[in-house]
Amino acid sequence: MDDEQIKKNAEFLINNLAGKEVPGRVKFNVRYKTLVDFAKIYGITDSKYVGSEEEGIIACHAFANNFTIKALYKLLLGMKLVQNGEERPFVKNPGKLLHMGQKYNWDGCVELKQGDKLNITAKWGKVWLIEKNMMLLAEFHVEVKNQDGEMVVRPVVTAGIRSGGY
Amino acid sequence: MVKISDIKVGDVIKNEFEGITRELLRAYAKASGDTNPIHTNDEIAIRAGLKGVIGHGLFSFGFITKLFEDFLEHGKYGKLIETDVEMRGMVRCGDLLITKGEVTKIEGKRVSFNVNQTTFTNIEIKDNRGNIVRQFEAGERGYISEKDIERGLVKTKEVPEGILSYRERVSTPGSAIIELYE
Repeated sequence: MDDEQIKKNAEFLINNLAGKEVPGRVKFNVRYKTLVDFAKIYGITDSKYVGSEEEGIIACHAFANNFTIKALYKLLLGMKLVQNGEERPFVKNPGKLLHMGQKYNWDGCVELKQGDKLNITAKWGKVWLIEKNMMLLAEFHVEVKNQDGEMVVRPVVTAGIRSGGY
Repeated sequence: MVKISDIKVGDVIKNEFEGITRELLRAYAKASGDTNPIHTNDEIAIRAGLKGVIGHGLFSFGFITKLFEDFLEHGKYGKLIETDVEMRGMVRCGDLLITKGEVTKIEGKRVSFNVNQTTFTNIEIKDNRGNIVRQFEAGERGYISEKDIERGLVKTKEVPEGILSYRERVSTPGSAIIELYE
């Protein structure tokens, strides 16, 4: 891909994605064992996070890492873009994809519990180009709600795609 | 007990973790579902140009949320409101990972922190004649780049066996906000 085409692709993505909804939603079931296995990685021993299944446990904050990226991948895989009449994915070469940043906001959110059934949706935030190295950056604003429609966490993921990957 | 009246700008909380192993990365891959083999299979990581497995970015990020969970005694004294980090440097097996939060602002019951994760990667130990007496994974596999040296990230210090060379690098800068109950 030549520099001219790379620039055109970047312009197309910037003009067509920023602020738009990512179509679809991902459902995610929160299992007791997954919560415990995840908390144990970090040496967490508090019974709130690793106690018995009968008494019920909640997720440690890091557990948001378990579903956020997976859900985003699924949503993006299902998203088709049409550039100059041809269908194209957001990322043309996944090997050029970089995870640049991760933000979680739990303000006003409820705790994530075993047995929760999560609904995960996303929309595009800023999409911009760093001309120095032609790295395209994109923000994804994700919303994670439980089966009762209560917000569990609001992640913001920043992805970078190196030149030639978009 | 953690109370807002006991906290002041400049206070630092930190945790240290020195147990990053291939076994732990495999356990994280299983628990997180992020099974990209660059985190668990050296041969594949080498083919990807990484010289060996690297930690999942979100694996080390988990120590940031843990820092605040521990500080708040798991919700007893307050809650974690936000974390926001940049993924900057790779974390390797054998690294010492230090996670620090420094209080930057206090507004009502909310406390803002600057967060930094720093990795300390041992390279080798030389005796006083310059002979290598111990080589670590980073030295064997060549994890240290010319750029690291140019940036002054490679340092030395005296240890009982001789002079230890190591790299000190910020891997994950960012911020966090907590809210205390009292």
